[in-house]
Amino acid sequence: MSHPFLAIPAFLYIYQGTDADRVMTDEIARYLRSLVHAAVAVRPDIVHYALSSCSDGERERIVSETALSLARLRVRDPAKRNLSIDPLKPEIDYERGNLLKAGGRTCGIIYEGFELQRLYGNFIVPRERNLDHLHLIITNQLFATWDSSNHRYHARVSIYGLPALISTTGLVEAPARPGEFYVRKHLGADLHELREQFRASCMDYQDPRMAGVLKGYAAQALFHYLVGYPFCEDCNCRLFNAHRQSELLQAQSLSPYEFCPRHQAVLERLREYQVLREQVVPGPSGQQSLPCSGGLSAEEHIR
Amino acid sequence: MAEKIFSRVSEKDITRAIVAEFSRQFSEYVESDVIVVGGGPSGLMAGRELASTGLKVLIVERNNYLGGGFWIGGYLMNKVTVREPAQQVLAELQIPYKKYMEGLYVADGPHACSKLIAAACDAGVTIANMTVFEDLVLREGNKVSGAVVNWTPVGALPREITCVDPVALESKLVIDSTGHDARVVTALEARGLIKTAGFGAMWVEQSEDLLVEHTGEVHPGLIVTGMAVSTTFGLPRMGPTFGAMLLSGKKGAEIALAKLKQWQ
Repeated sequence: MSHPFLAIPAFLYIYQGTDADRVMTDEIARYLRSLVHAAVAVRPDIVHYALSSCSDGERERIVSETALSLARLRVRDPAKRNLSIDPLKPEIDYERGNLLKAGGRTCGIIYEGFELQRLYGNFIVPRERNLDHLHLIITNQLFATWDSSNHRYHARVSIYGLPALISTTGLVEAPARPGEFYVRKHLGADLHELREQFRASCMDYQDPRMAGVLKGYAAQALFHYLVGYPFCEDCNCRLFNAHRQSELLQAQSLSPYEFCPRHQAVLERLREYQVLREQVVPGPSGQQSLPCSGGLSAEEHIR
Repeated sequence: MAEKIFSRVSEKDITRAIVAEFSRQFSEYVESDVIVVGGGPSGLMAGRELASTGLKVLIVERNNYLGGGFWIGGYLMNKVTVREPAQQVLAELQIPYKKYMEGLYVADGPHACSKLIAAACDAGVTIANMTVFEDLVLREGNKVSGAVVNWTPVGALPREITCVDPVALESKLVIDSTGHDARVVTALEARGLIKTAGFGAMWVEQSEDLLVEHTGEVHPGLIVTGMAVSTTFGLPRMGPTFGAMLLSGKKGAEIALAKLKQWQ
């Protein structure tokens, strides 16, 4: 039984960045389960999860190596792409302390996004490193990607692939706030008061809308698997690639509908296929042996 | 003729007292356990913590006065603020403070600063004020082993009419608490022994946490605390709040103690 999707993950793993994210990650897990018939599991932070199955000696080695790698991945100057700086010892110590911290990490550093994704990807065991498994990391670390068109780093909310990364800090810091916010900040307005004043139109830390907004980004990670492209041009669709806070809230929280008709049709097609498939091979794990249709581009699939 | 209140002491006795005591102390502190460069809040805190364990600590301060910016909270208004949990340090130093709002505490600048200076002195710290850091003493493996210092006013003299060589002080560890200048780290960088990050892509809201977390040994024998941490690692400036200075000083001292214990 062939299907028109690039990949349908049978297993979805959500890695929570901090203990405080547990409620959110549970909500995202339920939401993803409503979109795709797959086994969805919430796991602790990906590094902690990987370390839990290591011996003491191995754990020490991995922590040391990862701390060094993270210190090297710091974006030190948004206008320069230079990852060859040897980090200072306190920078490595900082990363080491953060890695060992139970219940979450301190944020404040910007990391090179694709390298961070690659680093976390190394923690995925080989048997789960394929398109049957979607790994979604929710982190409070902020990352940025280099834009060669204007030669500078840009903070990002998410990076999709294996694994997919979504930054809760990125939700607050990456999409641009209204111009007035920056003008008043530049003029010395108190940042906390300013954020309070812009609360309605901008995401903030510990924002009650966070879980709802994250659902949309989790859906983007899923669509990246399903059709090879995570975004939509419809500003009311959850898959809209928001560059401004107003766009983000419009797509994820204020929109009259969840998905645009085109992407809603993709999901319906997926459900129909999965129901049919269930009749042949019951349970989400049955999908592991499903063949891909292949040959068609992502855009062709969703048109 | 008015009754004498004070004992009869001549000018020469006073001069001899100053010279003798200064000389005795300076000679004693030509070698110490730790030299703290900079007598601002983080340097005083680090010095106090170290001296209270019985270590021989010398604080080198280029100004006549100690305390750095801790006298004034911002915009010349003499109220200093700390964020939770740094009020615990205020309590420990018996500095009166009040809760301004959840998580934010305010104290009187002059009272807080003088208490901190007194706490450092009471713990046994020796102060060399009007003394400016000029360079480092380096030993095998480029380990930082002391500081080269001079009188502060020497720097103000025209080079054409004076050449006053500095003197060197030895220590097991040096702590750079020189604020934004990070003078000790900069001196090390000028010799090509360290490369600092420069401006960092980090954001202000997290700066206090980051500053404390990055406080540490940046080169063998050199620990960095306070705003010098910010310069060394490219952390952003923070507002006029001092909790991170106090906690960074404390952390710097803990790291110094651990290093000294390790070398014993």
